[in-house]
Amino acid sequence: MNTLSGEERAALRDSVHRLLQDQSSEAAVRAVMETDSGYDPALWQRLAEMGVVGLIIDEAHGGSGVGPMELEAVMEEAGAALLCAPLLATVVAVKLLQALGDEAATERLLPAIASGETIATAVLTGDAGSWTEEGVGITANQSNGQYQLEGRGNYVLHGQNADLLIVIARSGEGLGAYLLESGAQGVSVGALPTFDHTQRLAAVTFSGAVAEPLNSKMPVWEAVRAAMDLGLVALAGEQAGGAQRVLDFTVEYAKTRIQFGRQIGSFQAIKHMAADLLLETESAVSAARNAAERLAGGAEKTDEAISLAAFACADAFVKTAADGVQMHGGIAFTWEHPAHLYLKRARADAQLLGTPAYHRERYLQALGA
Amino acid sequence: MSTTDEVLRDEVQTWLSENWRPEIAEALANEPYNWETSPERKAWLSLVLEGRWSVPRWPQEWYGRGLEDKQAKIIEREFARVRAPGTGQDRMNLWANTLLTGGTQGLKEQLISRLLTNDVNMCLLYSEPGAGSDLAGIRTRADRQGDHYVVNGQKVWTSGAAVADFGMLIARTDWDVPKHKGISFFFCPMKQPGIEVRPLRQITNESHFNEVFITDAIVPAENLLGPLNSGWQVLNTALAYERSSMGEGARGPRSGVKEASNEEPLVALAREAGRLEEPALRQDIAQAIAYKKLNALNAARGKADLKQGTSSAVMSLGKLAMSRILHEEARIRTEILGAQSLLEGEDYPRAEDANFLSLNAYFTSIGGGTDQIQRNIIGERVLGLPKEPEVDKTIPFRDVRTS
Repeated sequence: MNTLSGEERAALRDSVHRLLQDQSSEAAVRAVMETDSGYDPALWQRLAEMGVVGLIIDEAHGGSGVGPMELEAVMEEAGAALLCAPLLATVVAVKLLQALGDEAATERLLPAIASGETIATAVLTGDAGSWTEEGVGITANQSNGQYQLEGRGNYVLHGQNADLLIVIARSGEGLGAYLLESGAQGVSVGALPTFDHTQRLAAVTFSGAVAEPLNSKMPVWEAVRAAMDLGLVALAGEQAGGAQRVLDFTVEYAKTRIQFGRQIGSFQAIKHMAADLLLETESAVSAARNAAERLAGGAEKTDEAISLAAFACADAFVKTAADGVQMHGGIAFTWEHPAHLYLKRARADAQLLGTPAYHRERYLQALGA
Repeated sequence: MSTTDEVLRDEVQTWLSENWRPEIAEALANEPYNWETSPERKAWLSLVLEGRWSVPRWPQEWYGRGLEDKQAKIIEREFARVRAPGTGQDRMNLWANTLLTGGTQGLKEQLISRLLTNDVNMCLLYSEPGAGSDLAGIRTRADRQGDHYVVNGQKVWTSGAAVADFGMLIARTDWDVPKHKGISFFFCPMKQPGIEVRPLRQITNESHFNEVFITDAIVPAENLLGPLNSGWQVLNTALAYERSSMGEGARGPRSGVKEASNEEPLVALAREAGRLEEPALRQDIAQAIAYKKLNALNAARGKADLKQGTSSAVMSLGKLAMSRILHEEARIRTEILGAQSLLEGEDYPRAEDANFLSLNAYFTSIGGGTDQIQRNIIGERVLGLPKEPEVDKTIPFRDVRTS
């Protein structure tokens, strides 16, 4: 893994910014969120060509080979633009494969993921939606040297768009990781009706589906934890970027909207909300970048920084998007105004990979309490 | 590091090894805390001044070396390495920097070296009973008579007034122009019959602040800083400095109860109270610690941005963030203690702490500009939002409405 210089990272970020400005405009987001797949394959291909899809995949496997800091920077742009794409799904799936360290599998799978040819997603949690070890919803039964999966995985990121599923399931030997194609026999993928139309989730039901067990060089849940932690850094970046964009357009509106013969931003009632939101968004940016930096630096204990980023960024995005609607007034209560798209994304992001309350508890435990 | 930088570093190191002797370090470490500077510290600061390390960024003629920031930082690093105080005053000495920027030649000759060696005690004569958040509404007046000004009025929230030799004073010198345009900035001698200092009793039952009653006090004309009626500009430079330092820290518990471990104080307190397992409390504690950590991360990011030459919005947020941190921490301390917080006195040190901190949090959320004023500043100067219309901005101060 390489960590880019600050300048190189800024250049990467800038190129993603320009692509998304062009290809993930508000109009584009609105168009794609009404489609079944919920993402734009052409844009996904462009992102693959730019090395964004394979950002964390090493160069030997056709990726960019960069790390958490670059991922976080790219995700700030993705969040700002409300990018509709299986980027988070890819990050978690790839990191899970890397952490498991089954070399034959990574050799075979990562190049196709990096090129955008294959979309992979991880099935981590069951109906509990807790993303905890206890929350795993699938069992793996061994017979005749084969593993067959039973049960339901829920809240699977872009499950309906994935070609490849990496499934965490429980067997008599404990937790294991299994690989299968989403079209395999005994697999049923059902798209979920998401409150946030810019994201895609699916429930995946397994009834006797035959899956390939993956080797793991560490306890499987540790590999899942590593994958979710990188996912949380990505999510934190998305939330920080989304919050900043909401604040930007809200402040802009407060400068142009005239009531009582003056710009509404001149009223302290509005100005003070904006000042408070600046504190929230800047804190989110600091927390997201700090978590990425700690992870990139190979720090031994990253729980503290990651859980802090997880709840601080989730809460900041929700608060900024919610107050943003309030500060706009009636215009933001209309479907045509983009504020609700950010509010819905913020509310959805805050539930993925563990709730803010879960991460506050994890943070306190990481502090030794 | 360039050759000149290395030469400089070697020079500082040599100087410190010759002068920063263990007995000086020990004497300074054991100084009692009060408003007056110990003789040992003054002696050390004089050595630093003679060595020309006090204000390396300043010009040669005023004890400096005319160094770039990067080189001055080398000096600060070497001083910090051995924990020696006294350098970096070109960044941190409010009084000396204000004087250097706006003072007359005579006043600078009289006071700058003494300010750099803590040989004069200073205080701030800004706020008045009728001018708090609206500081430009001051009514203390300074009237020119021959070679001096005669000052009359009342100031408040003045720390250290009883021992001060000079106060940085804002007073009205023109009543027929709008409020910001008729204020002047002075170094006012404090030890004179026209100055009466009375301690204020605070809600914490402490007395760190005073009221200062000024009756026909005399200020020499050469003690005017900046042009006459341009005091508002001088003041704003000084205020920005003061506010930026308030986001970095605040007082802890007063009782002096030592925590047993390096644990976060709220965690330690909840553990001691047997309540660390309560989920709702744990959420509150985690959030309060997070606010503190996020403020530290913001400050670190702001400093890193500054180093790269880009200014950062986060630097303006520290004081507002600190207000929330202090109020929240105190609220949770109280929550943990429950009924015990009904009590006070030395037999109840935990209650003392919680109650003191609950009240002292206002020191940060009101002092140095209330949170509400701070939000105005952030909204207007950082986010670029328009100001409220000011009904008294353009009329002669004489005609401004008062309470």
